[in-house]
Amino acid sequence: MRCVILLGLVLVFVSLPMEARSQGNQKKFDDFVKASPAVGDSLPELSVFTSDGKPFQTADLHGHYTVLTFGCLT
Amino acid sequence: MFVYKSLAHPELVGNYVQPFTLDERLTHARQAVKKLGATIPWIVDPMDNRLKHALGDRANSEYIIDPTGTIVRKRAWSDPVAVRRDLEDLVGQVAKVTKPEDLGLPVVLTTAEPATNVEVARVSRLGMFPLIAQPKIAQGGMPFYVKLRCEAELTVIDDGKGKLYLGFHLDPFYQVHWNNLSKPLRFEFEVPDEIRLSETSGEAPRVKAESDVNPREFLIDVAQWPEDKPIRLTVTYFACTENDCREVTQVYEVHRRRDADGGAAPGAAFRGLTSEAMLKLLLSGDKNDDGQLTRSELNSVQRPRFADFDINADGILDKNELQKLADRTNAQALRDF
Repeated sequence: MRCVILLGLVLVFVSLPMEARSQGNQKKFDDFVKASPAVGDSLPELSVFTSDGKPFQTADLHGHYTVLTFGCLT
Repeated sequence: MFVYKSLAHPELVGNYVQPFTLDERLTHARQAVKKLGATIPWIVDPMDNRLKHALGDRANSEYIIDPTGTIVRKRAWSDPVAVRRDLEDLVGQVAKVTKPEDLGLPVVLTTAEPATNVEVARVSRLGMFPLIAQPKIAQGGMPFYVKLRCEAELTVIDDGKGKLYLGFHLDPFYQVHWNNLSKPLRFEFEVPDEIRLSETSGEAPRVKAESDVNPREFLIDVAQWPEDKPIRLTVTYFACTENDCREVTQVYEVHRRRDADGGAAPGAAFRGLTSEAMLKLLLSGDKNDDGQLTRSELNSVQRPRFADFDINADGILDKNELQKLADRTNAQALRDF
């Protein structure tokens, strides 16, 4: 669990506050939160990959709390 | 769990460009894991960007999933402090709070410098947005050492008229360079009669230095381009390492459609950003609201350039230095980010 809690902290390298906090984006952010899938919905079941290229099902994310944070190299 | 997706800001740091294949995207992800020394699990979105699309199409969104697979929190932009708060609510407090600096993670990305410091004229892309340019990938064919970045003014996307940008960027993962003793890159469009362009072919200008890694860029005037008519583009170039040069010919199909997963390259799509707006954006990282920025208040993309911005080298970006930086709201300044 500790690892999960650390997740958000580790991945701030992709956080660009210049975009995140501009007022112009606030409405977009609010709309995003309201849009589907919303809080209370199930996580869509999709097939993706692990970083070493093995298939991974999002449906397997059961049994524990998981933080999913999107990001990229730049 | 970190979800690795398409690049939000290609060419920003390290000249990374959008990958064309899953293998290339996996390589990106592994590079990031290595650079960051990350130990958390990573998953990689397939090339059709299905997870990004399914979860709202944001660059840095964040979800918390409960043990039943239900979304219990979501936000459009990752917020480590809020995540900690959420997790404390959901699963309880931890005995010791780990801070980012406790992890000792290396967060400096590699910057690919030109093989030789040469001036290659760059093309302005302000106000342009990426178009879909589908590479024709042949089974067992050569990698796309050079990747086409195609952008256009919104008038092209909306009405089929305006400026079209073609940028041929070396993919840093292949570690090749331009050998300027070889024939320069050349491209050719195959255009049906309904499409009218200022040029249907082009050749990169000769560069005096023997080698470099700068992109080869072109600006084309589009007079007419029906939305339903893709353009076939063939490019020929030499991809060179220290010991070898190979001639490569590759094909793309360029569509008059915006690539929603293309990301925003520096110098593009920021039209209209004023000095005042730029200053405000910079100060959005000002955690203690003192009107100045320390190195720790910059994000990790900006941080490697701190010394460049800190003109008097006192370790603080003061109002004067931030204003000067904000005043450089042109393509080059944005490229610096």
